[in-house]
Amino acid sequence: MGLSRTDDQKIQVEILEIKKDILKMIYKAQSGHPGGSLSCVSIIYLLYNNVMRFNFKNPKWEERDIFILSKGHAAPALYAVISKFGLIKREDLFTLRKFGSKLQGHPVKNPELGIEISTGSLGMGLSVGVGCALSAKLDNSDKTIYVLLGDGELNEGVIWEAAMSASHYKLDNLIAIVDRNGLQIDGSTEEIMALEPLAEKWRAFGWEVFEIDGTNLNELLQVFKRSKKIIGKPKVIISYLIKGSDVSFMQHTREFHGRAPNKEEYEIAVKELDKMKKKIIQEI
Amino acid sequence: MISEPSLRDTFGNLLVEAGRENENIIVLDADLSASTRTLKFAKTFPNRFFNMGIAEQNMLGTALGFAVSGKIAVVSGFSIFTTGRAWEFIRFACHDNLNVKMITTHGGIVGEDGSTHNALEDLSLMASLPNLTVLVPSDNIELKKMLDYVFITKGPFYVRLPRDSFPNLHHNLYNFKIGKPDVLKEGNDIGLIGTGYGSTLAFKSALNIEKKLGISIKVINFPTIKPIDENFLLDEIKDLRGVVVLEEHNIYCGFGSIIARLISREQAKIIKFIGINNAFPQSGKRDIVLNAYSLNSEKLITEIKKIII
Repeated sequence: MGLSRTDDQKIQVEILEIKKDILKMIYKAQSGHPGGSLSCVSIIYLLYNNVMRFNFKNPKWEERDIFILSKGHAAPALYAVISKFGLIKREDLFTLRKFGSKLQGHPVKNPELGIEISTGSLGMGLSVGVGCALSAKLDNSDKTIYVLLGDGELNEGVIWEAAMSASHYKLDNLIAIVDRNGLQIDGSTEEIMALEPLAEKWRAFGWEVFEIDGTNLNELLQVFKRSKKIIGKPKVIISYLIKGSDVSFMQHTREFHGRAPNKEEYEIAVKELDKMKKKIIQEI
Repeated sequence: MISEPSLRDTFGNLLVEAGRENENIIVLDADLSASTRTLKFAKTFPNRFFNMGIAEQNMLGTALGFAVSGKIAVVSGFSIFTTGRAWEFIRFACHDNLNVKMITTHGGIVGEDGSTHNALEDLSLMASLPNLTVLVPSDNIELKKMLDYVFITKGPFYVRLPRDSFPNLHHNLYNFKIGKPDVLKEGNDIGLIGTGYGSTLAFKSALNIEKKLGISIKVINFPTIKPIDENFLLDEIKDLRGVVVLEEHNIYCGFGSIIARLISREQAKIIKFIGINNAFPQSGKRDIVLNAYSLNSEKLITEIKKIII
């Protein structure tokens, strides 16, 4: 069972709202990573809203599923999503990257916010996921570990050490999601350090691979459900996404990987997102 | 003295005991379990032992995952590979103050394996990390007391063991105190401050040097590289004419540098350093290598003379 059309549209509206928050956070901080935050926010939202076993009233609940944002530079997306669910006051979002704020430039371990471990140095999260997954198996816990990886991040050798160990230990409670937006700081992933054939690489490492259009919420949800049913091996969802998605001048460009919009850019972006939102609401 | 078991053998046995007492302890190794002696734990508790293959970064990353899941993650391997290859993962264990206990073997001069395998920079790498407790035992008795503390204390630890054995400097009733100096021998003129093999060398040389030079020597063992209780250190050396720091490590940015920094803030004291002088020592029997690179009594006498003359 997928999402009804109306539910799908409602979620789309929510995600557009979150995207506006992300841009406001980065605009106010005048630093941060809009491109990779906008690309993967839908994944993070769906995980918390529809997929993960997680109690927002008690983020330290022992039985919770684990989420690790390995691409830690997408911190604004994580903060904005969990703010929607009440873990962060909305006004606090706009303290991002400011001295004294709990919203550091990259995520810092904070059990109150459900942030399991600090991330931001790329390549580390999958290994951490392996440890969490092994620990859950040892405890006979049925929790699932979700790790969100950037595609540029897959350049890191330790990702493949982790991939090897996850299949060696048959970690079917580990689900990695690759934000396959095709761009990294210095250029396209294929120019800088070719990843393709990416699905074949993961398969060769013993993983069950799903390749999907990550902008399609229904498809995403279906694949999360299907992936959970595969036993005996770890799973990776290669999710084709758009860097800077839904803002015309941020989309498909690396310019906004790590640069904040100026006032004019920010205002145009908000207008664009509002327009999209309005259109969907009219359809509902 | 020769019959004393190696510190790694002692570690292997103590790890099994700790595993029996605390089910929360899990152990990770990087295809070196026979050498590090974690094999004994692996055989006793196979479901709590994880061989991560020759992949130290992923081993440490996995340890972080175990630690955030509430386990006490003991990580073993050779000192140089564990601290060097996986340094940034260790930095994250420290950053998040996680329960990761790195207990490595083959610290210092390994002997025949040679320059590629010596760990003479590990203490610098570890001591620069906030939140990390860095420990170097000088004998099996100290190791036992130290590990008792490590396994019940929250947070990240680095414990550096040698490949071989050290003679016992301590009595069974020895009371290991974190951060505190451990006076092995009283004396009034010159202080020898050692850690690990540095303490062995200081202690075994002290009486002969006293006779030879007609001076009184105090020997202070430092099992803790970090954090050091500064006031206790300063108090122990305040009446001495000078000190020599001894370590089986590069003297650049090592234990001696830490001691010198702490002393120089409060006292004007001549400090000399015995250790590896910015080199990659070659293969050979351990005692021959130590001697060739000036970790010996003769060098110690030379340095002391520079202070007293």
